[in-house]
Amino acid sequence: MNLVTSLILRRMRTPFILLITVYSIAILGLILIPGVDDKGNVWHMSIFHAFYFISFTATTIGLGEIPYPLADAQRLWVVISVYITVITWLYAIGKILTLVQDSTFREAVTRSRFRKNVRTLHQPFYLICGMGETGHEVVTALTEEHYRAVVIEKDPDNLNEIRLNELREFVPSIIGDASDPVELEDAGIRNRHCKGVIATTASDATNLKIAITSKLLHPTVKVVCRSELKEYEENMLSFGTDHVVNPFETFSDIFSMAMKSPSMHLIYDWLTGAPNTSLSEPLYFRYGHWILCGYGRFGKQLYQQLKNHEGIDVTVIDPSEKLRDEFIDSEADSHQKFIIGTGFDEKTLKQAGIDEAAGLVAGSDNDSNNLSIIMTARAINPDVFVVARQNEFNNYDLYSATMANLIMRPREITARKIRAVFLNPLLVDFLKLAADEDAEWANIVVSRLSAVVGELKPHIWTAEITSETSPAVTKAINLGRHVYLGHLTQDPASRHVKLKCVPLLHVRGHEFSLLPEESQDIRNGDRILFCGTREVKNSMDWTLKVMSSLNYVMTFRTEPESFVWRLLHRYFRKVERRSVPR
Amino acid sequence: MNLEKVVFSFFLILALTLNFGFFIGEVDNPEHHNVYELYAVIVVNLIATVMKFGDRSQLGAMLLATGLVAVAQLISASIVWAVAVHVQDTGMTPAVMATIVSLSGGAMLANVISVILLMIEAVMLRH
Repeated sequence: MNLVTSLILRRMRTPFILLITVYSIAILGLILIPGVDDKGNVWHMSIFHAFYFISFTATTIGLGEIPYPLADAQRLWVVISVYITVITWLYAIGKILTLVQDSTFREAVTRSRFRKNVRTLHQPFYLICGMGETGHEVVTALTEEHYRAVVIEKDPDNLNEIRLNELREFVPSIIGDASDPVELEDAGIRNRHCKGVIATTASDATNLKIAITSKLLHPTVKVVCRSELKEYEENMLSFGTDHVVNPFETFSDIFSMAMKSPSMHLIYDWLTGAPNTSLSEPLYFRYGHWILCGYGRFGKQLYQQLKNHEGIDVTVIDPSEKLRDEFIDSEADSHQKFIIGTGFDEKTLKQAGIDEAAGLVAGSDNDSNNLSIIMTARAINPDVFVVARQNEFNNYDLYSATMANLIMRPREITARKIRAVFLNPLLVDFLKLAADEDAEWANIVVSRLSAVVGELKPHIWTAEITSETSPAVTKAINLGRHVYLGHLTQDPASRHVKLKCVPLLHVRGHEFSLLPEESQDIRNGDRILFCGTREVKNSMDWTLKVMSSLNYVMTFRTEPESFVWRLLHRYFRKVERRSVPR
Repeated sequence: MNLEKVVFSFFLILALTLNFGFFIGEVDNPEHHNVYELYAVIVVNLIATVMKFGDRSQLGAMLLATGLVAVAQLISASIVWAVAVHVQDTGMTPAVMATIVSLSGGAMLANVISVILLMIEAVMLRH
């Protein structure tokens, strides 16, 4: 039995029994007490009449003394009955109202409504555990693309936000602990439409538990976890978690891109950012003397990137003596320095050589310290290139105000990665391949991208050549025609106009080719990653899906679609051909 | 001994015994079947059914189902009675009486099942 109905029934047991008892006593009294009918005979009310009489008096409707005026003894009994029945009704109604306001009852109602919402999702959906900033970004991105999402979150305040926020799709959500398997089952982990689980709670242990539970309950589901600690990451990967997003490692990759060339960083930033946000400016990395404040998880990652680079020498500042010993042990043969201190005082910074430093990393796990380091350093050397690590989400505006050149925001980085993994898995491959290319290549890509994107960040999409997603193209290929990439980037609305988009990656089986040419032939099963605007994607869909549009871009001839028109067309073409002299 | 169990069993068994008392006698003879007894049967059955509310076990669900069947049958019987005596002027003919008594017979069967279930539960508890 449904929990809600069962709760109502159980709570209403006493009021119902009381009502039945009071009614039966009142009716019995009316039957037994003698009255007088219109001819003066002694008259007993029948059960039917007594029930009728009590029904309307108990509910305070009061239709009068029916069928004959009552005797005084009956009236006395009716007075008693009215009071006891009305009071019992009030008690019963009061009980129902208390039940409705009861918090456990409300909880049961929301839960059963949530379960029903999840059960009736008859399309692919993603399960998001943890609705912090990362979760929020991911849900917005998914619903923008008309995917459905289900959310489990511990903090009711975060949920209030999405319940009020106008997302493109309805998102069922529940307050609960996502590490509890029961919660995951309620949220539809076993549902065959569940395509992916995204674990982005603040705790690595919880994310690990979610990943294990998901893989056990639904082995084919795609699981993406956020993890900041190496040992958890390895554990997650050991049982088949599809992607583990470590914001520190990801940032280290971004940092190395920025080091390589400004264009490389722009490619990353433009392609992974949320569509329709404004484009960022290129970042000119500076070589020379670098100061690294904070030698924790973050500092160590960046140190590895910096020390192996030509033309950079590093001075590390950290208050921990243990870390210094560790540093000296591992870096004995290098010429890099380590200074004990916090870095937010002028003396330490000067000692580290801030005056002629090219770059500074404010990478401690304390936001006040980081902000202080940046302010002090900028006061001494205004031109220094600043890399800042933001820890608390609330300090977003403070970090933006420091005008640091590169800010590490764990949640934003995680959200970008997850968005790429779920919406355009090919983008992950593209970025991986791009990292191996040189600065010149990056410049070419950026110039091609800026030609098509305009002011805002571009829309990324994947065209799959399968009979479901692009029926027109597969049909043409099966008919033996040669379709080239150039055909797809042709505007199906007007001849000789190219769509404003850049094909980024062409994938056939395990063959990846970056920036495919227009002469690239298209075969069944190919996947192509495009970058452009949403309008361009919609235009391209016509070519992919509608035969006459594809015919048009391939031959530039408008062909009739209806049967009669086609017959006429064929007839006239024949006539035309015959009239041509041999 | 659990007082709640005593009251619960009391009403279940009383529902059956009263029902039997009304049912017994010649099926179409109004002399053998008392209207007040039917009244008592209905009241006790209603109480017994409400007492079965809200138990989520399989046995609880079956007990509730038998109660609902009995109440449905008894209320139909009382409606037949009211219609025959008060609405249409047929009066209490043997045909009407037979309908009422057979309806209450059905209700009694439901009550018998309910008491059997009660005994099964008791036996299961013993082991």
